[in-house]
Amino acid sequence: MVMRWVGGCGSIALLLVLMVGCGASDPSALDGVPGSLDEQELSGRGSLADQQAGVLGSPGSQGPLADIHFGYDAVDLGQGARDILQRNYQWLEDHPDKRVEIEGHCDDRGTIEYNLALGARRAAAAKNYLVALGVSSMRITTISYGEELPLCREVSDVCRRRNRRGHFVVFGE
Amino acid sequence: MMELEVGGMRSRAWKRLLVCCTGLCIGSVAVSPLAAQVRSTIVGPGATQYPIAVSALRTAAAESGRAEEFADLLIRDLRLSGMFRVVPRETYIERPQSSGVEASAIGFENWAVLGAQALVKGTLLESGGGIVVEVRLFDVAQRRQLSGRRYRGGAADLPRIADRFADEILAQITGERGPFDSKIAFLSTRAGRFKDVYVMRANGTDISRLTESHTLNLAPSWGPEGDMLTLTSYRDGNPDLYSVTYPGGDWKKLSSAPGLNLGGRWSPDGSSIVTTLEFDGNAEIGILDPDGSTRYRVTDHWAIDVSPTWSPDGRFIAFCSNRAGSPQIYVMKRDGRGVRRVTRVGSYNTSPSWSPKGQRIAYTSRVHGEFQVFVINVDGSGLRQVTTDGNNEDPVWSPDGRYLLYSSTQRGGAHLYLSDLSGINRVQLTQGKGSDTSPSWSSWLD
Repeated sequence: MVMRWVGGCGSIALLLVLMVGCGASDPSALDGVPGSLDEQELSGRGSLADQQAGVLGSPGSQGPLADIHFGYDAVDLGQGARDILQRNYQWLEDHPDKRVEIEGHCDDRGTIEYNLALGARRAAAAKNYLVALGVSSMRITTISYGEELPLCREVSDVCRRRNRRGHFVVFGE
Repeated sequence: MMELEVGGMRSRAWKRLLVCCTGLCIGSVAVSPLAAQVRSTIVGPGATQYPIAVSALRTAAAESGRAEEFADLLIRDLRLSGMFRVVPRETYIERPQSSGVEASAIGFENWAVLGAQALVKGTLLESGGGIVVEVRLFDVAQRRQLSGRRYRGGAADLPRIADRFADEILAQITGERGPFDSKIAFLSTRAGRFKDVYVMRANGTDISRLTESHTLNLAPSWGPEGDMLTLTSYRDGNPDLYSVTYPGGDWKKLSSAPGLNLGGRWSPDGSSIVTTLEFDGNAEIGILDPDGSTRYRVTDHWAIDVSPTWSPDGRFIAFCSNRAGSPQIYVMKRDGRGVRRVTRVGSYNTSPSWSPKGQRIAYTSRVHGEFQVFVINVDGSGLRQVTTDGNNEDPVWSPDGRYLLYSSTQRGGAHLYLSDLSGINRVQLTQGKGSDTSPSWSSWLD
């Protein structure tokens, strides 16, 4: 099977994930790996690459910016989402060399194509809010994955809410 | 493969002999359990199944088994159609090797006494790797030939020959050609975590894998000639629209506008592709040239506009929009004007598919939290619920407009189901590991 990596740092990120997962503490044991485990390196991979590596939703892959969540079939930003976006905005202000890709995701209760459109809306809503707060729009890209990359598959409201998310993937310069 | 008509008196006087059971009849048969070789049938209402006898072909090479195999293949399609009751072979009086194949040489009383109203007989010639199948359909009571065909091809063409003649039998008996000489493409996770494209014949046989891509793939859709599919894939990181040749499996990027390039459906005349694009995070419908360049944007509305499908004459597009506050089915002209809402019942109606016969649209509607397949007339009348159990999505029509194919979880995992419009009579067409979703049904292969 052909493996395709999203982004340029896929294989390095995978090595880092393996290190974190196995509790390895000696980075120099792996050739070519930078000495410090920067969490941002891990988050530069995105949900599709995580899924391809089999680590989607694993603890080490969250990155420095928290997910926001949406109501069922909704694209509007509740107070909780706005609070998180405010903190994410602050982090981006503190790290002006970073850019971010915002992923829009849905739970499994819609149809495949409609959920892709909904995910696009969710990612755009988060981007527009950050831009309104003052982030340059050139630092933000968006992508929708619809219902295709769920963090969990249980039939429960808790799981579904987890999946209805805007996810922030940080990339360095 | 070559095909010719063969002589004898042909007549289409038997149109509509069989009351067509597509959706207007109420059946009472439960879904049959699935057998490994012979799929269950879409059983039509018992009163209107047409009794037919299918004789093994007469051949000089009986040892190859192909003479009987042809009859078995044909019988499988006739049973799957739901419109025929096949008189059992063990009751036949005439033996294929010792009886005639033309009307003047057939003892029709030998078939009438079994209750057969139609009869299939023919010959098989095998030479080298090639075969010649000559097969005829007879009206037993009138003692005459209704249709005859000669097919010339390789040994591997036998299933397709059977499918083509099954379609011809349906054309003669019901007045409308059958759907069997066509292909179904679908997405499946049967080989791993990611969805790849698979192709099979319309009767569910001969499944082959077309893509092996380890990424997200969505919305396969046949091109008009059945030799390629459009497909949305994240193989380059963005949901771009590709064409993939069939059977070659060669990819070519068609459209990579920023954001969604979701699902490409070819217009019936093959001149353009309708797709869902994205503008500032908002899904909008656009028309592409065959090479993938954007010709024009069709919708320009703040709402989500997604999942376009062509009318069979290519003049209209049905699509899903939440411009009224919730996802509903709409119809518009292909230039975007004249937008008209079709669905008025239900709060979540998506994934329209326009019948090849032109008057109906199938779609998915959320009912009590689950998805069901519905059919509605284009003018909004005649609402009919087709499915009731499990989660049922992505309905598409057979090329003859008689059947619906959709992905259903009614028996656990998602598999493809074939159903008549009543929904009562259905057959599970795929099974096994993984989930089978997003089917596309090609046009006839000729």
